[in-house]
Amino acid sequence: MNKNKITRALLGAGALTLMSLSPAQAQDADGTSIIRERCTVCHIDSGDADKPFSRISEQRKTPEGWMMTISRMQKLRGAVIPANEKRALVKYLADNQGLAPTETDGLRYVLEKEPNVLESFDPLIQETCVRCHSGARIALQRRTEDEWKWLVHFHMGQQPTAELHAGARDRDWFGIALNQVAPKLGQDYALDTKAWSQWQAAVKQPLNGTWAMSGFLPQRGNFNADVVVTKTDNDHYELTLNGQYEDGSKLSGSGKAVVYTGYEWRASVTLDGVKMRQVLAASADGKTLAGRMFERDADVMGGPVTAVKANAITKISPSYIRQGERKLITVSGSQLKGTVALGSGVKVIRVQSRDNNHLTVLAEASHSAAVGSRNVQVGKTSSKGALTVYDQLARVEITPVDSIARVGGAGGLIPKQKSWYRAVGYAAGQDGKPGTADDLRLGYMPASWSLKPFNEIAVHDEDIKYAGTIDSRGIFTPGDAGPNPARKMSTNNVGNLAVVGTVEDGQQTVSAETHLLVTVQKFVQALID
Amino acid sequence: MKHLKSFNKKAKMLDRTVSPDQVEDVVAMQSIVGCTSVNDPGWEVDPFGGLGSLCQPMEADLYGCADACWWPAQVPDTMSSHPNWSQDVVKADEDWRKLDSIFPEE
Repeated sequence: MNKNKITRALLGAGALTLMSLSPAQAQDADGTSIIRERCTVCHIDSGDADKPFSRISEQRKTPEGWMMTISRMQKLRGAVIPANEKRALVKYLADNQGLAPTETDGLRYVLEKEPNVLESFDPLIQETCVRCHSGARIALQRRTEDEWKWLVHFHMGQQPTAELHAGARDRDWFGIALNQVAPKLGQDYALDTKAWSQWQAAVKQPLNGTWAMSGFLPQRGNFNADVVVTKTDNDHYELTLNGQYEDGSKLSGSGKAVVYTGYEWRASVTLDGVKMRQVLAASADGKTLAGRMFERDADVMGGPVTAVKANAITKISPSYIRQGERKLITVSGSQLKGTVALGSGVKVIRVQSRDNNHLTVLAEASHSAAVGSRNVQVGKTSSKGALTVYDQLARVEITPVDSIARVGGAGGLIPKQKSWYRAVGYAAGQDGKPGTADDLRLGYMPASWSLKPFNEIAVHDEDIKYAGTIDSRGIFTPGDAGPNPARKMSTNNVGNLAVVGTVEDGQQTVSAETHLLVTVQKFVQALID
Repeated sequence: MKHLKSFNKKAKMLDRTVSPDQVEDVVAMQSIVGCTSVNDPGWEVDPFGGLGSLCQPMEADLYGCADACWWPAQVPDTMSSHPNWSQDVVKADEDWRKLDSIFPEE
């Protein structure tokens, strides 16, 4: 039976009906008609209104998750879907079978491409699934128990060697995966949830308007920008960014955004000539966008961003002031009008500069200002605990706590994967002892950077000579790809290093280290690792 | 494992890491997202958190990983998913510059 011919005939008859539908209904109809046209060669049109398509209707995913699925169907299963239909299908599936905002809580790092995240999942899932890919890749899907079981079968068929490195010689790996892991996933990540039905029923807010964005980029440091968002179609926007980096230089850019599932903002922007991506989540009230912006071709190189539409404070920089210190402090946000107050014991000497969305003040903390955080206030807008007064810098932590970089370049097709570091300062807190629970987090502090061998083996193998270099911004650039004849056994330019960050503050000079493993390339790039 | 005696330093380290009663743990270490936690012998990191027990240089045994679908999230598996990935590069240790990543299609 040629289902496609029948489907096309049905669509022809339904064309007039479509003309009377609202744009959202028309898009839904487009989504289902694309599935009927392109996917029912294999999937079954069940006739059940609740779950019309076999397998497809028994899953929910993020936009990236659906994109990966459809790409796999094209690449491995011969699905033929033109680019415009694929875009429409991802949108339809993410809108109608997506995840509620609360279902992505704590897992967004994998969508945002945040580098050097250490995951920890239930041992059963960790040992079965997180051997090869992230745990978040699973936890950002919702399926029926049968669907999770079919996913186990899929892995056995597609990647049969999985059973070897899953320890199948010593244990009933397949039985554990099928009878323990899949039911657990069916329970923890069930298809039908209250969170999803509530989110489906919620009114979604439009995101056009003028936003105040603040964020951090490892190459440029902190930045602020006014973002003008114009609606071009349902859930489609254009945006322009204008602002400045912390060194005073101008920032400008423009791009396009699509909003999936009513809150998943995905934008492609060109910022000062560099192609960037924004993966942000809109708050339910449509007044905040938060997530990460990163280079399209080097996703490690990016940082957190927050944008607000309502009157709010988004960032205080720096977020700390020492007793007796006088320094410039910048407050960023939206519609910042009125008098600035930095809390008890901290005086505003003068306002250095200000506009609607940021202001810089010369502040002074008295010698007797109480150690601790205080609220920052601009007019009627307040940011809780945003500025901390401290006595002295007691210790420093380097983030991330563990990290990798990957060799690359050297004429090869795969670029180097860098890593970057920031120093977080702490005061000792009331007990006067650094490293205890009452330590006072001050915020990110400027640091100088160096590398050293991580252990004796790294000394012996001269890793420091080959593995890469770190610059004054804390950005590490790994060594060249390829076998290196100058090294023993022509070893790659890998290395086991410690990154040392040193902060000078007042009379204090404090250093700390973090681990960096410079390793080999990754030959598989995935939207969700 | 109980009938085998660890011969060299690396084998003794492995012996300490995976004892028979730890089979259910099967070296499922916490790992950085994007890295495999299969440390047999490891793609990014070896079972001891270093690099000394990895196959080095990587290019010398790359196709041994690809053919066997050993690190499907790191190395394209030429067994099932990406059969043509390395077809134009006969010797990876000589022509590694010609090997590209598999990218997500959009």
